[in-house]
Amino acid sequence: MRKVGIMTKLAWLMWGTLALGCGGRPSSWDTPYTPGSSQNGLSSAYGMTGSVAVLDTALKRVTMLSAPSSLTLTSQSIALGTGLVAAQLSADRKTLFALSRGVQPQRTPNDERPQLLLIDGGTTPKISRSYTLTEPMDQLALDPQNEWAVVYSGDGVVVNLNELVLVNLAKTGADALSSKTLLSFGGSPRRFTFTAPLSVPGGDPRRFLIVERDSDLVLIDLAAPDREAVTVPLPSADNGGTASSAQVVYDADSASIAVRVTGTTSVYMLQLTAPARSDQDFSVVTNLVDVGGQPAAIDFVHNSQGLRLVALVQNSAVLVEPDTATTQSVQMPAAFSGIRRITNDLNPAAAAATDGDVALLYGPNIPKIAYFNLSGAPGALFRSIEAYDIGVSVKNVIDVPGEHYFDHKILETPNQQFYVLDLSTRESAPMKTNAGLTLEVAPDGERVWAYNPGQTGFASVDFASLHPVSVIAERPVSNVFDIQSNDGQRAAVALHLSGGSGIGATVLDASAPSTAYAHFYSGFELGGVK
Amino acid sequence: MSTRFGLCSVLVSAVWFGAASAHAEPLAPHQPYAQASLGVRVGKVGDDGYDAFSSSDELTQFSLGLSSTVYRHQRFSLAAAGFWDYGQKSSTARGEQTELDVHRLTIGPELRYHLLPPLYFFVHALPAFAHSSASLQDSVAQVTRYARHWSYGVDVAGGAAYEVYGAQTGWPKPRIWIIAEGGYGYLGSTSLEMLPDAGQGPQRPAAVDLGSLSLAGPYFRASAAVGF
Repeated sequence: MRKVGIMTKLAWLMWGTLALGCGGRPSSWDTPYTPGSSQNGLSSAYGMTGSVAVLDTALKRVTMLSAPSSLTLTSQSIALGTGLVAAQLSADRKTLFALSRGVQPQRTPNDERPQLLLIDGGTTPKISRSYTLTEPMDQLALDPQNEWAVVYSGDGVVVNLNELVLVNLAKTGADALSSKTLLSFGGSPRRFTFTAPLSVPGGDPRRFLIVERDSDLVLIDLAAPDREAVTVPLPSADNGGTASSAQVVYDADSASIAVRVTGTTSVYMLQLTAPARSDQDFSVVTNLVDVGGQPAAIDFVHNSQGLRLVALVQNSAVLVEPDTATTQSVQMPAAFSGIRRITNDLNPAAAAATDGDVALLYGPNIPKIAYFNLSGAPGALFRSIEAYDIGVSVKNVIDVPGEHYFDHKILETPNQQFYVLDLSTRESAPMKTNAGLTLEVAPDGERVWAYNPGQTGFASVDFASLHPVSVIAERPVSNVFDIQSNDGQRAAVALHLSGGSGIGATVLDASAPSTAYAHFYSGFELGGVK
Repeated sequence: MSTRFGLCSVLVSAVWFGAASAHAEPLAPHQPYAQASLGVRVGKVGDDGYDAFSSSDELTQFSLGLSSTVYRHQRFSLAAAGFWDYGQKSSTARGEQTELDVHRLTIGPELRYHLLPPLYFFVHALPAFAHSSASLQDSVAQVTRYARHWSYGVDVAGGAAYEVYGAQTGWPKPRIWIIAEGGYGYLGSTSLEMLPDAGQGPQRPAAVDLGSLSLAGPYFRASAAVGF
């Protein structure tokens, strides 16, 4: 009898234990933090104007870090859609666009739909808008002027590779979306260029979307996106093979478009003109201009006689007059392969009144830069090039935003140096780093941050003094961002994501960086877990 | 169903045996002057703050109790009772190791009613003092963060004790009891702002804020006691 009683008590004890212990926790707690992966086309973090967006893909959310003051951080999480496939910052860094596929396959009417989510990355982050899509798509292209977005490409059972969904960002809801299928001869969209308003004769200036495909270009009039797009086949390569576009440039005033085409010594010129038929909004006149070699880069410039297309061909710059297709070659001191028009950066107020443009020439394989001044007489072009031997090659030219140092450029080199170039004085300040290099120009245009992901050291260079300040964080740094704080100051946020185990950050006063006052934060991935 | 049947069988048997012996022996020897118990306390913690430290809502604690009868009146007696409960939970929070240590000290009056000499029922309301130490292994900061706090509350419970063995001769005459109780333990909330110990980890670390933690909830305690 006693034996039975003890067994019964034990059973009762177990029952009680189980009854009291029932109830678990949200599965989020068992989901390790997973940063955005570059393999999936995502970044782990995005520096915005007033906050830093850190993707937490495992929990389908983004953790927004903002700075109440220049030495403090706070976080909030914003839910992203299911199946995030693309995330991009707007050109002004104010908005993060997140494209998600939603629940696939859909099983109930309430399953989450594909969507494009817009997150305001100011000092008080929030969702600013969302657009629900009818079908999941994988690719996203953004208009630098924040008027349009394009989503395209998917992986459904049947995919229309030439279907674009144009999102008019000035509108909300379904009215903002227009689906468009491009006529195709076998190609699919590869690259998009949103133009400034082009002054097409016979109509108001209007913007175009230029879609580069495998063997043709498509022009979509953004003033009337529902109208039929114009497809312009690309010329063949010089060997008779198929060519593709390598670069598209345009001039707004003349409504001219030029295309650098692979495998040919010619540049493809397009002129948008008045409509030839009543059912057209415009017509396209094409011309193929031989520039004597395969150009490494092209751009439109103005000289004292009008618009010209510059093509950099080995050791020469070839100027093409668009209307007559006549060319003029200028010998260069080196084989420059990059060109950047800097006229507006030199004197934005009087840009329209100048006699000609000034362009900066550079290349990743030559230790020189050159200023190409096109304001001189056409017969004296040989004197228009002013070369500087800077000792290192330049792989990229980074603009400086803001009101004070717009005449500065950052010359990014393939090695451990970068240059701060003052276009007005034509002085360059070489900066040497002790490791690899990632550059982050502050959105206010007052300084540039240099760091090497995975290292603890990073530095800022103030454009006013060109004085570098090096700081050593206590943990490896994966990104450095410069954001505005709620009190109007600037905060530098050095993220610690390297281990992939959590979200940490060191925050310091961007205007006077010093680790003596920096604050260390971590555990942001644990915030708001439900 | 069979469990409930078993429980009822035990109680009925106890009453039957107790009733049979009730007329044969006096009640006083079964009202222990002092009693020490050892058992287990299982609580259900529904607070969201507990999720970081446990994958379930259960908190199991080792339980040590002491009581002493201070007043007797027929079948009633009043005892001073106290318990020390200690439990530990460990888990992971998004891959980071977490741990929670809880000490709970309760002390107060317990009112007992002997239905039979070997069986009494009791109720008690015991003021509670708890010390919790929550820790988080922060792999980004490479340091262990802590939130250590005292909190206060009360345990209100009722239960029954059954004497399973009683020495009939010698001194002292130890008696062994099986005790079961259930009730509600209230404790106030404490902050879970996790900070490293002074001098540990990076300079000027900001707290990792996991919200707050309240260990309040229903509980069950089973113990074995020896009384004199």
